[in-house]
Amino acid sequence: MKTVKVTLNVNNEKVKLQVKPYETLLETLRERLSLTGAKEACSLGSCGSCTVLVNGTPMRSCLILTPEVDGASITTIEGLREGDRLHPLQEAFMEKGAVQCGFCTSGMIMTAKGLLDRNKKPTKAEIIKTISSNICRCTGYKKIVEAVEEASKKII
Amino acid sequence: MILPSFEYKKAQTIDEALELYKKYNGEAFYLAGGTDLIPLLKHRLFNPKAVIDLKGIEELKTIKRKRGNLLVGPNVTLYELKENPEVKENLPCLFESLNATSCETLQMRGTIGGNIMQNTRCLQYNKSLEWRTARGFCYKMGGKTCNVVLNARSCFSNYCGDNAPALMTVDSKVRLAGPQGERTLKLEKLFSGDGKDPFNIKPGEFITEITIPLKETKGAYEKLAVRGSIDYPLVGVAVTVMDEVAKVGVTGIGPSPRLYEIEKINKKEIDKIAGKAYEDAKPVVNAVLTPAYRKKMVGVLIRRVFARIEKGGSR
Ligand SMILES: Cc1cc2nc3c(=O)[nH]c(=O)nc-3n(C[C@H](O)[C@H](O)[C@H](O)COP(=O)(O)OP(=O)(O)OC[C@H]3O[C@@H](n4cnc5c(N)ncnc54)[C@H](O)[C@@H]3O)c2cc1C
Ligand code: SF4
Repeated sequence: MKTVKVTLNVNNEKVKLQVKPYETLLETLRERLSLTGAKEACSLGSCGSCTVLVNGTPMRSCLILTPEVDGASITTIEGLREGDRLHPLQEAFMEKGAVQCGFCTSGMIMTAKGLLDRNKKPTKAEIIKTISSNICRCTGYKKIVEAVEEASKKII
Repeated sequence: MILPSFEYKKAQTIDEALELYKKYNGEAFYLAGGTDLIPLLKHRLFNPKAVIDLKGIEELKTIKRKRGNLLVGPNVTLYELKENPEVKENLPCLFESLNATSCETLQMRGTIGGNIMQNTRCLQYNKSLEWRTARGFCYKMGGKTCNVVLNARSCFSNYCGDNAPALMTVDSKVRLAGPQGERTLKLEKLFSGDGKDPFNIKPGEFITEITIPLKETKGAYEKLAVRGSIDYPLVGVAVTVMDEVAKVGVTGIGPSPRLYEIEKINKKEIDKIAGKAYEDAKPVVNAVLTPAYRKKMVGVLIRRVFARIEKGGSR
């Protein structure tokens, strides 16, 4: 089968790749670019652990074919920090202990990033609504919601 | 989960999409957001030679107002449609059904065209190839009989789209383009009632526009689901009241959404339609709640939606 040429801007770095036409963005990120922050859990779009930003919008990378996003800007959890500084969401997740096994964390943070980018001061109800796109099976969401609230206070 | 191998083609125009469909002799799927199609392909329920991405076709992405209608391109995402001021203001039933669909992240990828055209679902069907092979293929997969209703040569899978019933209650139409030209259908005519092959669509045809008449309406949507977020409807009821007439759409139970009309809204008529919809619902053991409970909830939800509309929509 013929491969497809794609150009992606991943975490502000331009990459040119030859990918399989049926390759998912999650596979490209993890297996070709070694960006293993986005996780594969259900692989069917139900859980959200593979969420990354595609041109600023949070998306399930397990449901996207890499050729579909040719030319797009992709942000993964690895691209959130600025220099040595972690993103306020990353700091708040650590401070609030919003992590137990950690498998959902990068998807949670990328989903929350999508929210804070379009709505800097979301209400608690709005945070809960957005975060319910993602499944966490250990912390019970309380600390995750607190962490997003905390981060939203720090973002000016 | 790895996808089966297929080619990826992106069409820039409607004609190009039709050409590609012809080139692959129909062994291709149109692709919009992929949130319904990709899981089906991962489960090896289909093995197309190619997918034809429609997202490059500009005219399928727009929302326009024209002569009292809202013309919606099928590639408009559920989220974008939900945020549209006309929908928020004039189409409360559709706004609620969009808001109740999956979750925000999936609404930002899933499109309204793909949502209307999502395949029917069954606990025996939406499973991996290994699971289905061990169980034995059912009628919808090409086997001889149904795995739920033993010996039935018929499929009882459920249409679980949240938004088609809401669109039906506001008299929406769909325009289709196909190898034999264009045609326009009332949305309810798109559904065949056959779980194995749920759409009255000819090979190669696809939706190019959804027309929604813009009138001031009252309405609401109620959905029975196990989880508050990310869950398909186990029953969904959409009601719109327009010019004193109420239309009621029922989804999530059986292979097609069903539409009812109440010309004079009063308790007796609501009870009559709730009773009729209860009778028409023929659930089988193929969803996560029992058939008896789901059947009962059809009538309950119809009464609940009307009670809410009477209170101005609030819960
Ligand atoms: C975890 C999860 C939860 C979900 N929950 C819900 C829910 O609660 N309610 C609900 O309604 N849906 C739900 N869905 C299903 C799905 O997300 C939506 O139906 C979505 O709107 C599908 O749109 P899409 O653009 O992703 O479709 P696609 O997957 O791209 O397409 C779906 C089907 O439509 C066909 N198609 C696409 N565009 C056209 C067109 N223009 N003309 C003709 N055929 C076309 C495709 O060939 C395919 O067969 C859920 C999905 C997931 C993964
Ligand atoms: S209702 Fe029967 S035929 Fe239809 S998908 Fe389920 S098991 Fe298969």
